[in-house]
Amino acid sequence: MSSSLEAIATLPWVEKYRPKSLDEIIDQEDVVNSLKNILKTKAVPHMLFAGPPGVGKTATAHAFARDLFGERYIEDGHFMEINASDERGIQTIREKVKMFARQIPMGGLGFKILLLDESDQLTDDAQHAFRRVMEQYSATCRFILAANYSNRIIEPIQSRCAVFRFRPLLKNDIIKHLRNIAEKEGLEIDDQALEVIYDFSEGDMRKAINTLQASASISRKIDEKVVYQVMGYVSRGEVRKILELALSGKFKEMRDEVRKLLYVQGIMPTDLISAIYRELFYLNLPEEDKLDLLDLLGEVDYRISEGGTPEVQLMAFLARVAAKGKGSK
Amino acid sequence: MAELWVEKYRPKKVSEVVGNHDSVKAFVEWMKSWELGKPSKKAVLLYGPAGVGKTSLVLAYAREHGYDVVEVNASDWRNEERMKMVVGESSLQATLDGTTKKIILVDEVDGIAGREDAGGLSALRKIIDNTRTPIALVANNPWDPRLASIRDRCLMLQFRRLRKSEVIKRLKEIALAEGIKVTDAALKKLAERSEGDLRSAINDLQAIASGRKVVDVDAVEALGERNRVREIFQALRIIFNTKSLRAARAALEGLEIDLDMVYAWLIDNVPEQIPNPEELAEAYEALAKADLFLAKASREQKWKLTRYAIPLMTGGVALARRTKPHGFVKFTFPSKIRLMQKSRAERELRHSIASKIAGKLHLSSAKAITHMLPYISFIMSRGDEYAKAMASYFEFTSSETKYLAGEGGEVEVAKVAVEKKRKRTRRTKRR
Repeated sequence: MSSSLEAIATLPWVEKYRPKSLDEIIDQEDVVNSLKNILKTKAVPHMLFAGPPGVGKTATAHAFARDLFGERYIEDGHFMEINASDERGIQTIREKVKMFARQIPMGGLGFKILLLDESDQLTDDAQHAFRRVMEQYSATCRFILAANYSNRIIEPIQSRCAVFRFRPLLKNDIIKHLRNIAEKEGLEIDDQALEVIYDFSEGDMRKAINTLQASASISRKIDEKVVYQVMGYVSRGEVRKILELALSGKFKEMRDEVRKLLYVQGIMPTDLISAIYRELFYLNLPEEDKLDLLDLLGEVDYRISEGGTPEVQLMAFLARVAAKGKGSK
Repeated sequence: MAELWVEKYRPKKVSEVVGNHDSVKAFVEWMKSWELGKPSKKAVLLYGPAGVGKTSLVLAYAREHGYDVVEVNASDWRNEERMKMVVGESSLQATLDGTTKKIILVDEVDGIAGREDAGGLSALRKIIDNTRTPIALVANNPWDPRLASIRDRCLMLQFRRLRKSEVIKRLKEIALAEGIKVTDAALKKLAERSEGDLRSAINDLQAIASGRKVVDVDAVEALGERNRVREIFQALRIIFNTKSLRAARAALEGLEIDLDMVYAWLIDNVPEQIPNPEELAEAYEALAKADLFLAKASREQKWKLTRYAIPLMTGGVALARRTKPHGFVKFTFPSKIRLMQKSRAERELRHSIASKIAGKLHLSSAKAITHMLPYISFIMSRGDEYAKAMASYFEFTSSETKYLAGEGGEVEVAKVAVEKKRKRTRRTKRR
């Protein structure tokens, strides 16, 4: 009994403090206002939510559905969520959608909502197939597609959707929210610590809340030092190691490390790039070289978003780091 | 055509085997070491392209030195049982007593790997470990990852394509013995077209010569072009050595290995083949650009784009490599495949953890790993009540809990790095 109580008390805070209604969504006024208008008319279009991670796309979809269908929006079968990057192919999605859309729930609005999260992970083929699914079931099912990169969504789908762009969260609003959580959890946290968490989060609320909770697991009184302790643990010491291996010309060792991160640990390439970006400024290289590398890193980031193979693109960058390392000695 | 010339003119003695002198010598020495009772390795793996004398060498040696050959062709047997019966039995008889000397010859070992009879491979592995009879394995491509443990047990002897002059010389001898006249130009053409595969050259000669007394270039040309599969090594050799964009691009022509595989070989071999960091960076940049075209080609079904990818990945590497490594550096098998095999258990564990997190928190597994796992792992590494509650919330098993708490793998590594940096010891490492 007591253990389940504890479990509830220590729920991952990203879940515990997930906004329940559109009114609780932080920032994104434009999106929220439009969605509230839709709530009034109940004429729900297909929608595409585009924006960086951790700014509330999934949360907004849930909050919207909850405001629309009520507290039991999931249990009563009005809403379902499919994660595109976990589903093996369009076939599964089609079957799941069919199963879901076939029955109209009692007391509903005559249609259901299906959230297809991380929809930019679908291949072009799958997207074309999905587009037909959208048409086939649009009478009984409205789709919300969430994506980091809207340019990876094919034109025919975009044109069938109302596109909502989510903006990075404002610093003040993230800090306010963190303070709010801290208060509810009975934590003491100073301004410095909040600043550090914000910087580390890069505008990603999920990351900010996670950092806060991990900090709280060390101490109820959170200062800068406590936060650094968490950051040191979670911020990929491996990336620093990779860069050091590159600079000292240990190319094969470096490659093996990169592969371990990408293939064994399954770290997302974009996350690796962000970590490299952070480390880049502290490399032991002339400033001009760092600027060159920054330029190339941006290119690599872009290429990966265009479908380039992360390992290959990263290696091209790291090979350049190695060449710079050699040149500076 | 009563008898195939390739059989009729198969070497009867080791000295008649054409080309590959070093490997031939090494094989003879290995057999000698068996006869002295002290083989360095119990099996030998003769590998290389078709028609260069691998099987012929074994047969010639056996014939010359009075061995019986127990020959197993990969197509003969498919399963463990049969493997044990045919090969296992012979291998256990002590045969070097002078009365019934035997060599076991297993042909097309890579053919076993290609099929679904993996039981045959593990049986073969055991047989090698226990054999009292020399075992010679023959393969075209020994680099199939499933053959890794077989490779470890074998003396590896590489056979290369034969030189044009070697092929011509042998064809001349055969022509003389058969009483046909072959013009020099025709011989040259036959040799060229064989690309160092003597067997195909002899077969071609026999086909053309039937019903003719004189074989000239026109007759050869009438036979039509053989579309030969050039092995990947040869392609790599060209790519790493040419200075011509056209030659580099042509290295992949007629190659029946898919482009992704070639790419995997290239990307893994550039660091060894290009020692200069500046040049290596150029080569990688070319490969990265090729990758973009390939990705776009397959993503948007714009296959035409591969025509840019190919010169970039071949010529780009070729032109970048201006400095060569000291001495010969051999090509290595792409290591990613082995990494994936070795790490299967850890990947499965992480996958299971990730799906549990993903299920609870409206995330994909990939995002769960990147955005949640480090924090959950941090909390769990403290091993307190808080950590336990977290474990029960996500319903982690005890091995998952242990893994997350940092008793294995990546978490440990990251922690060590951090601790070093911060010069602080939170808790001592268990191990």
